[in-house]
Amino acid sequence: MSKQKVYIIPCSGIGKVFGSIGRESAYIVVNELKKEKSALECLPLIVKGKKKVIDTLKLNKVIAIDGCPLKCSYNNLMENVGKVDAKFMTTDIVKENRDLRPESSIMPIGEHTKKLAKKLAEKVAQKVDDLLKPNEEGELE
Amino acid sequence: MRKKVGIIACSGEELLGGTLSRAAARIVVEKLRSQETIILCAPLFAAGGLERHGGQEERNFAKEHPTITIEGCEEECAKIAVDKYSGPPAATIYIQKYIDAHPELKSISRESLGEEGMKLAEIIAEDIAKKVDELFIRK
Repeated sequence: MSKQKVYIIPCSGIGKVFGSIGRESAYIVVNELKKEKSALECLPLIVKGKKKVIDTLKLNKVIAIDGCPLKCSYNNLMENVGKVDAKFMTTDIVKENRDLRPESSIMPIGEHTKKLAKKLAEKVAQKVDDLLKPNEEGELE
Repeated sequence: MRKKVGIIACSGEELLGGTLSRAAARIVVEKLRSQETIILCAPLFAAGGLERHGGQEERNFAKEHPTITIEGCEEECAKIAVDKYSGPPAATIYIQKYIDAHPELKSISRESLGEEGMKLAEIIAEDIAKKVDELFIRK
């Protein structure tokens, strides 16, 4: 069976908390929820077009997590890798959880921000399973 | 135009150096030189021409203002992007140099720097702040 992994690529936003939610959720997925099935890669290296990284991503599944409408992760993945298998916006998880207004603090992130990251991570983890589930023909989705 | 220095951290998510670069950048723009600096997002900077012409504002800013790039590894992602789109940065900070110079300050992980890692980020940030001051004096 394939040893494909799902690469989680959060945007590198450091100016606002929405980038922090994406990065934190990516860490939760690769370190806790889907440790064996997922991995991280640096977005700046993808933007730079590092061949080894691009080739690896082409052979695996890729999830983009973005923190603002400019969608640096999604757009740069499409531009350099040519595909994105699933995408998430951190602003969506904020909208879905109005009671958890993220704190403006980025360093360290606040308790609401952590909870939002966990919620987003759970969604991303579910998507990791979906992407690695073989379809009726025995191929990955 | 009011003078500002653009701080561009590589911010690489996969590496400890990326996390240190991000932390040092935040310390500079939030605490040490909040009036003199702004953060420019590295991937957005390099993403010019994409949806809504992502990085054009960042690129134009870097053409008209001095920039300091912070590199989390030897790939020099931030420096290469600035060089390519806006001209050479005024200064480049290499995180590894600080990791090597301060073996007593051990960061816990890329996810959480911990107390010692944050001290290292502060040392890096102090040096960046000095570079900012030099750029202001030069003008």
